[in-house]
Amino acid sequence: MILVWLLVVPFLGGLLAWPSGRVHPVLPRVISFAALLLELGLLLPLLHGTAPASLIAPGHWLATFNAPWIPAFGISFRLDLDGLSWLLIVLTVVIGLFSVVVSWREIDENVGFFHANLMWSLAGSIGVFLALDLFLFFFFWEVMLVPMYFVIAIWGHENRRRAAIKFFLFTQGSGLLMLLSILALAFLHDQQTGTLTFDYFKLLENQPTGTFGYLIMLGFFIAFLVKLPSFPVHTWLPETHTEAPTAGSVILASILLKTAAYGLLRFAVPLFVAASHQIAPIAMGLGVISIFYGAILAYGQNDLKKLVAYSSISHMGFVLVGIYTFNAIAWQGVVILMIAHGISTGALFITVGSIQKRLHTRDLGQMGGLWTDLPRLSSFGAFFILASMGLPGLGNFVGEFLILRGAYAVAPTAAIIAAIGLIPAALYSLIAIQRAFHGEASTTRSFPDFGLRETAMMLALGAAIIALGIYPQPVLNVAAPGLANLTPTNTTAALPVMRTGT
Amino acid sequence: MIATIQPAAPLLILALTVTILLAAIAIKRSFAGSVAITALGLIAAVASIPWAMHGNSPFMASLFSFTPDSLGFAGLTLLAALVTLVLAADYLAPGIPVPREEYPLLLLLSTLGAVALITSASFITLFLGMETMSLAMIGMIAYPRFRPGAEEAGLKYLVLSGMSSAIVLFGIGLVELATGHLQLATAVATGTVSPILLAALALIGVGAGFKLAVVPFHIWVPDVYAGAPAPTAGFVAVIPKIAVLAVIVRVMAMPGATLSPATVTAISSVAILSMLIGNLLALMQENIKRIMGYSSIAHLGYVLVALLAASAIGRAGVVFYLVTYTITVIGAFAVIGVLSRAAAARDLDQVAEFQGLFWERPFLATIMTLVLLSLAGIPPAIGFIAKMYIMAAGVNADLRILTGTLVVSSIIGLFYYLRIILVMSQKPLERAAIPGGTLAIPMTGWLAMSAVGALIVGFGIDPESLIAMLKLVFG
Repeated sequence: MILVWLLVVPFLGGLLAWPSGRVHPVLPRVISFAALLLELGLLLPLLHGTAPASLIAPGHWLATFNAPWIPAFGISFRLDLDGLSWLLIVLTVVIGLFSVVVSWREIDENVGFFHANLMWSLAGSIGVFLALDLFLFFFFWEVMLVPMYFVIAIWGHENRRRAAIKFFLFTQGSGLLMLLSILALAFLHDQQTGTLTFDYFKLLENQPTGTFGYLIMLGFFIAFLVKLPSFPVHTWLPETHTEAPTAGSVILASILLKTAAYGLLRFAVPLFVAASHQIAPIAMGLGVISIFYGAILAYGQNDLKKLVAYSSISHMGFVLVGIYTFNAIAWQGVVILMIAHGISTGALFITVGSIQKRLHTRDLGQMGGLWTDLPRLSSFGAFFILASMGLPGLGNFVGEFLILRGAYAVAPTAAIIAAIGLIPAALYSLIAIQRAFHGEASTTRSFPDFGLRETAMMLALGAAIIALGIYPQPVLNVAAPGLANLTPTNTTAALPVMRTGT
Repeated sequence: MIATIQPAAPLLILALTVTILLAAIAIKRSFAGSVAITALGLIAAVASIPWAMHGNSPFMASLFSFTPDSLGFAGLTLLAALVTLVLAADYLAPGIPVPREEYPLLLLLSTLGAVALITSASFITLFLGMETMSLAMIGMIAYPRFRPGAEEAGLKYLVLSGMSSAIVLFGIGLVELATGHLQLATAVATGTVSPILLAALALIGVGAGFKLAVVPFHIWVPDVYAGAPAPTAGFVAVIPKIAVLAVIVRVMAMPGATLSPATVTAISSVAILSMLIGNLLALMQENIKRIMGYSSIAHLGYVLVALLAASAIGRAGVVFYLVTYTITVIGAFAVIGVLSRAAAARDLDQVAEFQGLFWERPFLATIMTLVLLSLAGIPPAIGFIAKMYIMAAGVNADLRILTGTLVVSSIIGLFYYLRIILVMSQKPLERAAIPGGTLAIPMTGWLAMSAVGALIVGFGIDPESLIAMLKLVFG
């Protein structure tokens, strides 16, 4: 039941925040913040819980909830929490808190409706991380889009309408492919066993094979690839990021992109073990291309926000490569990188947002010399750019290293090429630092530096990324049973070779 | 005596109400009185449906078939008519240069025709029902006859409806010629496909295509929707489609009803063309009523996919989709309707005129957003479940091309639904350009809106309640 509350709290928070904006503009912020804190309070104790064994399917689950939803179709309201989803939900809630804080000064129009959308898209993502009924999963997958669309379309920058529509079309369009696949999977199961169900664990037992299985898998694969995003279906991301308000960019980069990686790990791979192995070379190839493509395009950007957006594509390339190595070490790296990327890119978008608020531009050409004017902002910005570049000692490095380490054991060529991709990453990162923060200022400026609110936020994020870089073991410990859930014994039997890292 | 007519109760109540209303208008003209009598008649007819379902006397079995499912469709029609009446009562505000009392009468007559068509067991009642429905509808379309657009729309509908009736009549004649019967069931059971019967089927199919407004019989749709006053437009968009589909669903369940491969190909092409052309043409429209017109063409294409699936899930899908379609389309025209008045030169139907609705009338904008999300098939609106139903039927029956087209055209459809939402979410240009100006929305309008919104979200989140209810009625 507590899992339902995890969904209800942010949803109600949003519902309360909307009208409260009319009473006083600070109320929605306070309500959202409080709701998210409450959510965190509900969430943290769950780590030490175990669901009664009778209720749950094989694996290590922390909590579970199951009730019929649309019995006519065998659809249930099934929520399950394991280590992996716990970590991602914690990330969601924490990033959500930062989004509320970062909007404190930035959003001043229709504060109530903004926070309602913010909370609802968070609720949708939490649902995505919890749902283990495929239809319910798809429901949340779609639910999180609509509020995000409003956030971009109403509070975004100049070209927000185009960006919002593009964002929605890409994700919704690919989502329909996934719905087709989900239905095909369920009906295939119905034909073979005589029961129509969308229950993840029941569908796991019947792996579709052959060309048809491959086609069904493609529906999932494409939908997640679009959302990740990977080359060649990434084109929505730079524009959407650039036009979204800071909180929107933060949520998009830190949370929504992770739902895709989560989807690949949770659904695309375990449900179609054979087909996934078949497509692995292509997936890794796309991952490697994304690493280079994102990095090279990031290098060529004049718009700092676009640069960060393209760097996201590059980082998600590592995630894609990591997932399709089917290697335990690489998967641990994927988890670390997802979290580290969520923190560092979130922090970068906050930095860019702060720069834009002061300079009214995101153009690198008009920056330069910020370090003299805004020393605190610049040093935090440089720190997070270095973190995102993969500086050893910081979280992203651990993730990338584990992924490359795991990938090398399985697909050495892909690992080597991916590793070379770290060089352009260093290039665009250093260029960005140089152009934005170093050098001579083009004009004389006087702006307020980071205030207490912003400094505190940055310190917290920085501490998290350092902790993740120096001592990632606690995170790995939480994730490990969750990752073990993704390779249940009955499916490993179907595997040609389930490689373990050496 | 009562037990004999029990199954026909809704039809008889409607007919009785028509008579009472005619007499009432003759004695004393009063718009409020007219509306009240019509509303009471419709409510009584709806209320009588559960009772009528329990009746088991074969009342006029050669002409009517009062089965639970046809009564169920009749109930849907009556409810839609009731909402239309509520909206029209506000819409036809005093101050128009025509008497207002006859509008409820026409609405009642048209509903009577639709119910007769839905419950028809013979080609005679089928044709009579269809004509009563259409002829009264022409009056409803052209009711504000001081508007040139309404007059033109009425005339257009008259000509095309007359033509399609002639074609259907010709087809009925051929059926009689080939089988010697005018009973639907006997004609279907004949089975042996002669060229004459095939020709008859094609002709009747053309007539049905016109009423369903599917490609290539769709040309009239945008003009008529745009010209008709908003409540009528919603009525025209919904009632004939329920009625005709009810008959098709019933006929397809009759013994001996099999679709020949050629028919399947024909219907499939119609479905594919409707989905694509409807959605593509809607992209270029600036008028919300026209957009709704094209969108309804596409939605009927979706329904045909479920119809072609010809399975239990397909049949349930058709019914579920029809209910969804009724709620959402009525909802869309309701929003336009409460923001417009018959006395104005035209309705508030330009997309641009909805700019800023979110900021000035958040409740209406929320309802409109829910309607559009539902039409686009996005949760948590009911349209999502409906689209899932259709896709499930398509995937289950392995209709790959049709399901593929459904996905592609849904994506195209997103463009124009989202555009309206976007326009509503933009800041109003100036205070003077508030959608609907200072128009006050009466209590009944609010109620209708809230009902639509509650149904869209309620059934979207808890579809099982609706599925169970439909299962009970339609089996």
